[in-house]
This record gives sequence, structure tokens and C-alpha cells, in this order.
Amino acid sequence: MEKKLSSVAKSFTASPIQELSHLAQRCNAINLAEGFPDFPAPTHIKDSAIAAINSDFNQYRHVQGICDHLAEMVKKMHGLDINSLTDIAICCGQTEAFAAAVFAIIDKGDEVVLFDPCYETYEGCITMAGGNPVYVALDPPHWTLDPDKLMKSLTGRTKAIVLNSPQNPTGKVFTKDELEIIAEVCRVRNCLAITDEVYEHVTFDNNKHISLASFLGMQERTIITSSLSKTFSVTGWRVGWAIAPAFIASAIRNIHVKITDSAPAPFQEAALTALRSAPEYFESLKKDYESKRDFMIKMLAGIGFKFQFKPEGSFFLFAELPENCALSDVEYVKELIQEAGVVAVPGCGFFHANLLSDKVPKEDCSYHRRYIRFAFCKSDSTLATAAQKLGKLYKSSGMSKDT
Amino acid sequence: MQIQCTWAYRELRFRPTLFPTFSKHLQTSIGCVPTRGGRGTYSFVATMSSVSTQNEVVSTQNTRRPLQIAKRLEKFKTTIFTQMSNLAVKHGAINLGQGFPNFDGPEFVKEAAIQAIRDGKNQYARGYGIPDFNSAIAERFKKDTGLVVDPEKEITVTSGCTEAIAATMLGLINPGDEVILFAPFYDSYEATLSMAGAKIKGITLRPPDFAVPIEELKSTISKNTRAILINTPHNPTGKMFTREELNTIASLCIENDVLVFTDEVYEKLAFEMDHISFASLPGMYERTVTLNSLGKTFSLTGWKIGWAIAPPHLTWGVRQAHAFLTFATSTPMQWAAATALRAPESYYVELKRDYMAKKAILVDGLKAVGFKVFPSSGTYFVVVDHTPFGLPDDIAFCEYLIKEVGVVAIPTSVFYLNPEDGKNLVRFTFCKDEETLRAAVERMKQKLLRN
Repeated sequence: MEKKLSSVAKSFTASPIQELSHLAQRCNAINLAEGFPDFPAPTHIKDSAIAAINSDFNQYRHVQGICDHLAEMVKKMHGLDINSLTDIAICCGQTEAFAAAVFAIIDKGDEVVLFDPCYETYEGCITMAGGNPVYVALDPPHWTLDPDKLMKSLTGRTKAIVLNSPQNPTGKVFTKDELEIIAEVCRVRNCLAITDEVYEHVTFDNNKHISLASFLGMQERTIITSSLSKTFSVTGWRVGWAIAPAFIASAIRNIHVKITDSAPAPFQEAALTALRSAPEYFESLKKDYESKRDFMIKMLAGIGFKFQFKPEGSFFLFAELPENCALSDVEYVKELIQEAGVVAVPGCGFFHANLLSDKVPKEDCSYHRRYIRFAFCKSDSTLATAAQKLGKLYKSSGMSKDT
Repeated sequence: MQIQCTWAYRELRFRPTLFPTFSKHLQTSIGCVPTRGGRGTYSFVATMSSVSTQNEVVSTQNTRRPLQIAKRLEKFKTTIFTQMSNLAVKHGAINLGQGFPNFDGPEFVKEAAIQAIRDGKNQYARGYGIPDFNSAIAERFKKDTGLVVDPEKEITVTSGCTEAIAATMLGLINPGDEVILFAPFYDSYEATLSMAGAKIKGITLRPPDFAVPIEELKSTISKNTRAILINTPHNPTGKMFTREELNTIASLCIENDVLVFTDEVYEKLAFEMDHISFASLPGMYERTVTLNSLGKTFSLTGWKIGWAIAPPHLTWGVRQAHAFLTFATSTPMQWAAATALRAPESYYVELKRDYMAKKAILVDGLKAVGFKVFPSSGTYFVVVDHTPFGLPDDIAFCEYLIKEVGVVAIPTSVFYLNPEDGKNLVRFTFCKDEETLRAAVERMKQKLLRN
């Protein structure tokens, strides 16, 4: 009966991140792999959800107030004028907003440009909708955008560019210049853009998150997707959104209604509270994550990892294996789990070979196996314990990881 | 054919604007895109052409071709439910249209969700469902059908049954596959099938008993059929597929090697006969995806907790699509749902009893008002023939009912492949408290006059 699977479903493989999580659970390892917090969500937001459940906000609903707040926030952060009645679709997480956006604009054979390394889920959506993902490699060690590489990836079938900034897995925040390059391409080639801005409020060192939609000529062709999950540490609540010009937002809403119909009602209510959080909340979010980042870097540098690039946003560290380490990223991660009881994600899963790039000279891809992603969205005590365990491993094994 | 782009970055800045008049031509051609639209439904195309005027004015750059929405969207319009609900609010009408209760779910389930939130269960659940909930689903399924399923390999939790349907279609249907649907049908079936690129073959169920036309089914199903979709108890008619009908379908599926997707969200609202789960028929489990949800049984439609039960090789496809549609389902609600599904039998007995009382109020009332009421065996819906009141079609009748009488019903033509098939029928729901139902009946008795 295997032939009963759709050809698209057959091409998918299980998530390597989730598999490692299962191994970590079996070994009782400290999970620095999956990107969700192990500290509690903010109390005022939880209370709001509880109040909603008690007040019988439990049937299908669309909470317009979310759209109103989002319009305000987007105006404040990016100077964009959004019509809260027509330009926003509330979805079950950014995942669904992205899926609905892709289904809204991608036809069979359309090409979608993605920047590599890349969160693994985008490709699945694009493929499901009949599109072809085209990867543009960002250049290590600073993950800079090479305009030539971007130009070479464009064809007559390029429909959209996907931009995730702050970026998972590298923690890169695209610069104004890089965003301008992407915007120019979109304007001239008349492409659409889908942005994933879930880490928009997690930026460090005076790096500011700038939305691609705020560039000249971009609002009319950009779908912004984001969610409550990372900003408010409620990854399990599934409240996200897409913001786009009215005719695209309407299409996204119509598709969303057929995929899930609505986001969980009580959590939509709680979203109102969340989105009304004081500026201090966002300030301390940044500060806390920044200090966790610094702690992690110090800890990992202490055991030989290289950091030519410090994450500018998100709660991920893309650490480069020590120079004299002969192991691949996967082998190293397995050792980390088994010997140190700490789990991270091998970076190779985020890199992609470009299937359409016959005309592009073969790049040296050996760096695809040299990176490991650590998540630092964990409590200070978790991080401290991780530091202890890693420190012990390093001491006990001496230089055994060298050639 | 790939067009190699060799422009240097600098040159892009000075590219002249192209074809401003060309875009006007495209505007008109956008307006001519045929829509499936019926009376009273808003076409997305109308929205598009009014906005593209704005875009042309605002944009200083060229529009070589219009920013295109995907072709699949011809089937997607603002739903009739939203439109009717908006109209209802405007006129202060009593809403017997949209199928959600105006009373709340049971305290013990709500408490469980609150406890889960307090206990910090607010992060990503395992993609295909938290272990305890999957187990609870398996336990309940065994009680109801006698089938033993592996919660780890044969159950996928989704954001409502709506998502289970979407994931099933996208995970198991290839573009060009033939799928049989029984009309009238819940509106997301057609939409998600068209997203999957399926070729839909509709078989219409007709009043008074909406029986499956066996001969028509036999001539429609073939070796080319990939799947058949069954919704029992059936929305909107309330029909429950009989054992005979299901057995016939089963043997045709074996003959032609066809998959079966069954939407059983109303299985606990089975009043006139016992619900039969298709997967429990001999030889059917291996080719069946059973879809269900929490919302209708526990009056918590806004929580969006649903699931798909299927053998491992089919579950795999459902899970792949699900992973890209929503990735994971709301965590605290899953914990609460596990508690809900372990409710004692008395909960279900009381549920049925309450709904049967409500049904009696509505059905007796509708008959007294002068509708021709078709027998509904299950769900909380009943369809009626509105023609005694002299309106030309179902949409006109529903608009009249809202504006002049102050009651909302749903026009059923939107549930058919051919809207004409539904023009005599409208759907009422009785998932409302008794006072609301009586008030609605009163309004109709007073203001709805036969022609």
C-alpha cells in the first residue's frame, strides 16, 4: 500500500531534529537542540488564557483585537500602515501562516529562493504546493549575502523569495544593505517575498530587526509571518499571523479557514494581553537572551569551539567545530549526547544541495559538516548544568577529539 | 528552460519602468477570470481587481505581470458561514446557522486545560501528539469499535478535524487522482481536494432519506478511483450511513483498491441508530483513515483538537503533510483532551439526552411553522425544504429569514458541486440552549408566513 502515499509525501523524511530529541530523552540528556524554552511562560499571559477558558471563550472565533494590536506594533516598529480589517490572517502558529501563504501564491513549477543554511520546514511547504526551492548559499563565516549568488539563482520562474531574519540556525540579522539588495531584486523581477520574523523581538548588541516590507515598493509584495511563540515563550499555543496586502491576506485567510478554520480561541484572547505587554517586557527579553548567548559562547569557546560569528538575534548559536577536530558534526553531536549528556543539532540538516544549479560551479561544501546548532532558550540553571557537563567531558577526554 | 540572469547588481538600479499601460490590460483580464461563485458568495477576484487599481497608483515601479495568486484559489472564497454570521449580527438574528454551541464545554475538561497551563505545558508538543493523548484516543477507539491501534504509529493529532482532513488530502492524494465525494458535503472537502489537485467525482444524496444511490456509485467507482470520502453522521443532512450502505461501499473498495476517508466528528451525536465506524468493517482498517475531533462532543469547537487514525503506511503520509501545515497542535488542550476522552459513559449518555431534547424543540417547531422537515438521525443539524414560503432559492430564503424574521439558517447550495441541487434546502442547527431554540421557533411562528 506504499504506493497509496502521494508522491510528495514519499519524498519527505522524518525530522532529524525530532529524532535527536528522542535520543536525548532516552539518554536523559540536556536538550539544547529543540528551540523552545524550558522556563515558564510569562504569568500575566498564562492568567489571561486561563481567564478566557473560564469565561467561555471556547468556541470558534476570530479575535479582531489581535489584528488591531498587530497593526499598531507594525506601524511602530517598521512605519508600515496596515489595515487591520483586511491585511491580517490569524493562523495556528507561524507554521500555518507560512503554509497558507505558500499555498496562496505558489503554483506548480514556481521557483522560490531560500537562503542557506535554512530552517527545514520551508522546503516542505513549497514542495507540497508544487513549487521548487532554490537555495542561495550565505557565505561563512559571517553568513553574508553575495549579490552575485542571488542574481544567478533567479530565472523566469522565480515567484518568491523567503527571508528568515533573525535567522534560524545562524542567528544572523540581515543588514540594511542586504535587505536592500533583496528588495531591489523583488521590485525589478516583480517577485513576492515571504518573511519569517518569529525572532523579531530577540536581537542583540543594538542590532535592530528591520522588516523587508518596510523597504521601498516592498509592502505591496511582501507577506510577513510571525507568531507569539518565541516572543512570549508559548511555542505550544499555536497563535501566529500573516500580514500582507489585502488581496493576498484574503487568499491566505480563505486557505487557512480550509486548513484549520481558526487558531485556538482561548489563546487568541491571551494574545491580546501578550501583545499589550509593556516595552519593559521586550527589553528584558532581549537582555536575558543576550546574557544567555554570552554565557553559551564563553562555555563553548572554552571547549574549543570557534566563533568567528556571534549571533545577532534568535536564540540559536551556530558553532563551528574546533579546527583540529576530525569528527563530522553528526559524530560530534552523538558523542556530546553519549559522553556529556548534552544534545545539540548537527548543522548539516540545515544545508541544502541546490538541485537546479548545474550552471553554478560546484562550491566547496565541506563546511556543511562543520557546524552545530545550540539553542540557548533555556533557564540559567539548565545552561549552567550544561556548562558543567561539557567542562567535565573536555577535561576527561583531554585532546581525544583531535586527529 | 532557465533564463540565466547575468545582470550585475549596479545595473538593476537603473532599469526603466516597463509597460504601464500593459498592467491596465491585465487588470481587466483579472476581472474576467471565471469564478465558481454562487449567488451571495463573494469572489476573491472582485477583491483583487479593486485593489490592483490602488497598486497601480501607488507603485512607481513597473508591473510586468500582475502579482499572481495561485490558480488553486478559484475554489476558495469567504465562507458562507462568515457571511451569514455577519448578517446575523447586523440584524440581531438568532443564529441557528453556524455549527457551534452557545453553551460551553464541561468544567472538568476546562479545568484540565487550566491545570496544564499552570503546570507549564505550554511548549511544543510532539508533532503527532502528546503520548498520553494518543493513548487516550486509542483507548476510546477500542471502546467504540473494538479495534486495537498503536497510539505511536497509527494516530496523528491535528488542529481540529479540519486539519486532519487537509493533511489526509495533501498527504495521500496525488494531482489527478480521482476522489469520490457525497454531496452535500462540508465545504473544506472540496477545497482541500482541489489543493491536492484531485479530480472530484460527486455523487448526490437526495431527499427525503438521502440514501446512497448504489447504482450511481457502482458506475462512478473504478480502478482509477483513489479514495472515497464518507461523512457519517452526515453534515448537513443528519443522515447516518446504514450497515448495508457501508458494506456495499466496502466491497466496492476492495474490488477497486480504493482508500476510504471517514469524517466521524458527530459519532457521539447518533440518535436514531448506532454509529458504525467504517474502519471496523471486515478488511477495511488497512485502507481507512478515520477522522475525528474533540469540538463537537465536548462543546469546545474553538480549541482545535482533532485526530486521524490510520494504519502506519497511511499515517505516515498524513503526518508528513501535518508537519508542514501546523507542525504541532496546542499543548495544554491536548492534555485536557486526554482527560475528556476518558470521561465516563454517563457523559455521553447525558450528551445524547440533552441534544435529543433540543432536537425535539427545533423539529417540532419547524414542522409547526410549515417547513418540510427531513428526518435527521445524527449530528446537531436538520435540513428542511423552504419552498412552502415562496422564496426562489435557498440563499434568498436565508436572507429573508435573517432580515424579516430574525433567525439564521445556512443555505445548503454551497455544500453541493452543483449549487442547483441544494436550492430548495436550508440547514438549521440545534446546538443551542433550549431558550434560544424556543425563541427562534417563536419568531418563525410569528413572522414566517406561508405563501
